[in-house]
Amino acid sequence: MRDWVMRLMDFVAPSGSEAAVVQALLDHVRDAADETWVDALGNGMARKRGEGPHLMLAAHVDEPGVMVIDIDDRGYLRVVSVGDVHARECAGRVVRFTNGTEGLVHADPSAKGDLDFDALVVDVGARSREEAERMAPIGTAGAVHVPHVTWGDDMVMGRAIDNRLGCAVAAEVFRKLAARGLNVSVAFTAQNAVGARAAQAAAFQLEPQYALVIDGAAADDVWHDDPAISLGKGPVLKVMDRASVVPLEGKRAVEQAADGLHLLLQHEVSRDAWSDTGAIQLAKAGCMAIGLGYPVRRAGAFAATADVSDAKGLVDLAVATAETLLG
Amino acid sequence: MAKYQSVFKQLLEAHGGPGFEQDVRNLILPHLSDYAAEIWTDALGNLVGLIPGAGEGKRPRVLVSAHIDEIALVVTRIESGGFLRVAQAGGFDPRALVGQEVLVHTQSGRVWGVIGAKPPHLTPPSERSKAAKLEELYIDLALPEEDVRARVRIGDRVTLRRAPVDLLNGRIAGKSVDNRASAAVLLEALALLKSMVHSADLYAVFTVQEEVGLRGARTAGFGLAPDIAIAVDVTFGAFPGQAPDESFPLEGGVAISFGPNLHRRVFRRLVDCAERHRIPYQIELSQRPVGADANAFQIAGPGLAAALIGPPIRYMHTSVETVAYDDIWQCARLLAHYVAEVDALQVEELTCY
Amino acid sequence: MLLKELTEAFGPTGFEDEVRGVARRELDAMGLSVRTDVLGNVIASTGEHHPGPRVMLDAHMDEVGLMVTHIGEGREDGGLLRFRPLGGVDPRVLVSKPVLVGERRIPGVIGAKPVHLQQPSEREKPIPMEKLYIDIGARDADDARRHVKPGDPVAFATAYDELPHRMAKAKSFDDRVGCYILLEALRRWKGALPVFGAFTVQEEIGLRGAHAAAYQIQPDIAIALEGTVAHDVVGTPAHGQSTVVGKGPAITVQDGQTVAHRRFAEFLWETAKTRNIPVQWRRVKGGTNDFGAIHRVGKGVLGGAISVPVRYIHAPTQVVSLDDVMHAIDLVVAVLDEIAKGGFRP
Ligand SMILES: [Zn+2]
Ligand SMILES: [Zn+2]
Repeated sequence: MRDWVMRLMDFVAPSGSEAAVVQALLDHVRDAADETWVDALGNGMARKRGEGPHLMLAAHVDEPGVMVIDIDDRGYLRVVSVGDVHARECAGRVVRFTNGTEGLVHADPSAKGDLDFDALVVDVGARSREEAERMAPIGTAGAVHVPHVTWGDDMVMGRAIDNRLGCAVAAEVFRKLAARGLNVSVAFTAQNAVGARAAQAAAFQLEPQYALVIDGAAADDVWHDDPAISLGKGPVLKVMDRASVVPLEGKRAVEQAADGLHLLLQHEVSRDAWSDTGAIQLAKAGCMAIGLGYPVRRAGAFAATADVSDAKGLVDLAVATAETLLG
Repeated sequence: MAKYQSVFKQLLEAHGGPGFEQDVRNLILPHLSDYAAEIWTDALGNLVGLIPGAGEGKRPRVLVSAHIDEIALVVTRIESGGFLRVAQAGGFDPRALVGQEVLVHTQSGRVWGVIGAKPPHLTPPSERSKAAKLEELYIDLALPEEDVRARVRIGDRVTLRRAPVDLLNGRIAGKSVDNRASAAVLLEALALLKSMVHSADLYAVFTVQEEVGLRGARTAGFGLAPDIAIAVDVTFGAFPGQAPDESFPLEGGVAISFGPNLHRRVFRRLVDCAERHRIPYQIELSQRPVGADANAFQIAGPGLAAALIGPPIRYMHTSVETVAYDDIWQCARLLAHYVAEVDALQVEELTCY
Repeated sequence: MLLKELTEAFGPTGFEDEVRGVARRELDAMGLSVRTDVLGNVIASTGEHHPGPRVMLDAHMDEVGLMVTHIGEGREDGGLLRFRPLGGVDPRVLVSKPVLVGERRIPGVIGAKPVHLQQPSEREKPIPMEKLYIDIGARDADDARRHVKPGDPVAFATAYDELPHRMAKAKSFDDRVGCYILLEALRRWKGALPVFGAFTVQEEIGLRGAHAAAYQIQPDIAIALEGTVAHDVVGTPAHGQSTVVGKGPAITVQDGQTVAHRRFAEFLWETAKTRNIPVQWRRVKGGTNDFGAIHRVGKGVLGGAISVPVRYIHAPTQVVSLDDVMHAIDLVVAVLDEIAKGGFRP
């Protein structure tokens, strides 16, 4: 799983520019599905019809990043954020755009206080406006480049581990449930980092009764002595975030599944996340959506760390939960 | 005559925050079954009762809703010593939480707790003048740390513990008057409707997760797709220092909302109905989409004709929310008379601008 | 003149009746099939029997305004009207502007304490909305109540005028300019494609009408036609201007609620270029338009926005280039032609 996740992390896919990584994921599940498609908002979907109620798996494929919004006469780029990105995190870093162009981010030395994007300029080495327009036209998205690192067998640090690891989990769970003849679909959702904009359209098309939504969970085991969520201590049940509360029946199903597997389970309450779970549960007349996660240190940042062993536990947990729910 | 005062007080003592409304739902269920021909719960947990209208053919479809969740807290961390940190599930004013008794809803049942407060003796003057922040508050269960860790999990919900208080003049104070008062409105209205003839099919919906984003109303509005959707929810009772247009006297009658996102014809009909039946009412103006179920109803699916009415309450989002039962009763009268008068013509006029 | 009539029409958010009247009259005259929905959106359609893609063109009818909330009863404020904003009105632009109040369009002015009587500390700050009143000339509360009531909407009283060099000024170019483009594009375009013109309500308080309209239409492609922010004025560096008046309609790559569908944004751009229609990118992220709601409706909708640069958007007097408006109409018609020819496949 680790090497496959690292390949997924190589794709630069800020919200709205997910096409390449979506294709890679659909290629990976195509043989297990009846059909696959990409919708108007960029969600990649695979469907396998089977027995019983329909369960949807979802994991967002996008990541926060930047986008070229203006180019000046000398060929310098102005950028804005895509999703929740702070200008100060970008200053002095290398940006890699979706088309492979790379640039160095300069911060205005006279800017005072907290930086905003107005104070940043990206130098892509262009000698003129025209050359810059060819290299990274207005609207091109990119992300801060962080080379990935592995420690031991399971620890991975890098860009976009949140949520490429979740995509790998969702794909694997989909294959397993499809192989068991269950009625299942998976959505690799777009535009989560800009406010969970696309997941509801995915659920609108799929019309599931149940949904398991896989995403990173913010670990706090660096700066807390009594951490709520730690790496290596197992998958996470997402009890609440800004857009969802886990339904009691769903919570019970997950906890039962964890007990049955003798798996440690952590619980997350997030004040920040606008999750796909919240969007999916409200599609049409509603469905039972449950958020499951794997711990991530510095979730949402350009460089983050996760333990792939948690994700392996999460695969087992999701499969067992699905079996409990689908009876 | 009003018949649900005591049920209302039971509802105030029930505990049900966003996403765990089952106790409130179970309390309402037997009363709803006195009126509804069909009852069901949807995927999010909304409790729906259908009271069919009289007559053959296509009948108008009217939805009336009251959210049954209350604002709550949720455990985010167990600190050493067994003290609990919490986050909002709804919108408490942290200053009103200090010193409150609470119940923590764990897997193995309810646990008593109190929200800790530093005694003034130990508080330096500089700190005394500062408002408490939620992150600084903690819940003390008065249990040894091992017991706390054995019983409480991150994600467990916390509600206020407060028995309702009878004040003068049929005024009642307690927690979760927002919006159990409107649940009482719905029940009283159903009782009144029983002796009236109505041609509309009525969907009485007790919605969930309103306090965290009108979530139940979104799926109920889409799923039931009524012609007219009326949310019943509490509004601000008059109190010194509030702006005149945000202040509605207790016993001043039903607050009927008017604003850009509410259907003006339904508003007009509600006002006319109140006038004809001598039901006291007051008009509440909104300039933005209202912060109640009606907001979600308006843009559910192809769009619905939405309205909002409700009783005024004082001290909103605290443990001493205060309502006059007479306002509940007047809301019920208006709702019943309005529903009884809805006919096909009124549905047709909804697209006449 | 239609643009004059549209901008001078009274239409604070939620009270779009006059604009709706103009739109319906024009659409009826074109012989299109027209209906009004429960929210007050006007939806016109043509060519519904043709094979798709179904194209939705959107313009919102509402404008930012005010609502009367209270009629003063006291000795000092008797007959003066308190108000609150309907939509995103900047309180700094309100003082000393003429307005029209309520269904009967009672003229009034927004007044404040004279600067002479203000404390030096007060003078340094914008006057807060609570200290402003609308004065309709009423002697006392009873007198005022004969003409207005709490809940009455208020719009700025700004006349449309054309200026030299093909410029024009008016209130509510945001988004009557879109309504105008939509009407003229529907009038001009003759082709085989299901096209829906949605004149929506309540954009300014959260894109509400468009949400419902898109659900009813279920389009494959949607384009919002908007007036958008231009700040090509003194003291603003090039990268802070967003758009430049006179340089053609603007195309969005990202705003507050949308990330452009890249292929569609490029299609709009190329269509303009090949027909020699001037066009520019909208070079700012803030703000949004109805497409922010439309693209998330139902199974998801592909599309974008074509915007006309407007200086002083949301203020009582706004400025546009009439050439930009004409070019936007040309571009919309060209885009419909291209889609009908199969030049863009969803
Ligand atoms: Zn409420
Ligand atoms: Zn606009």
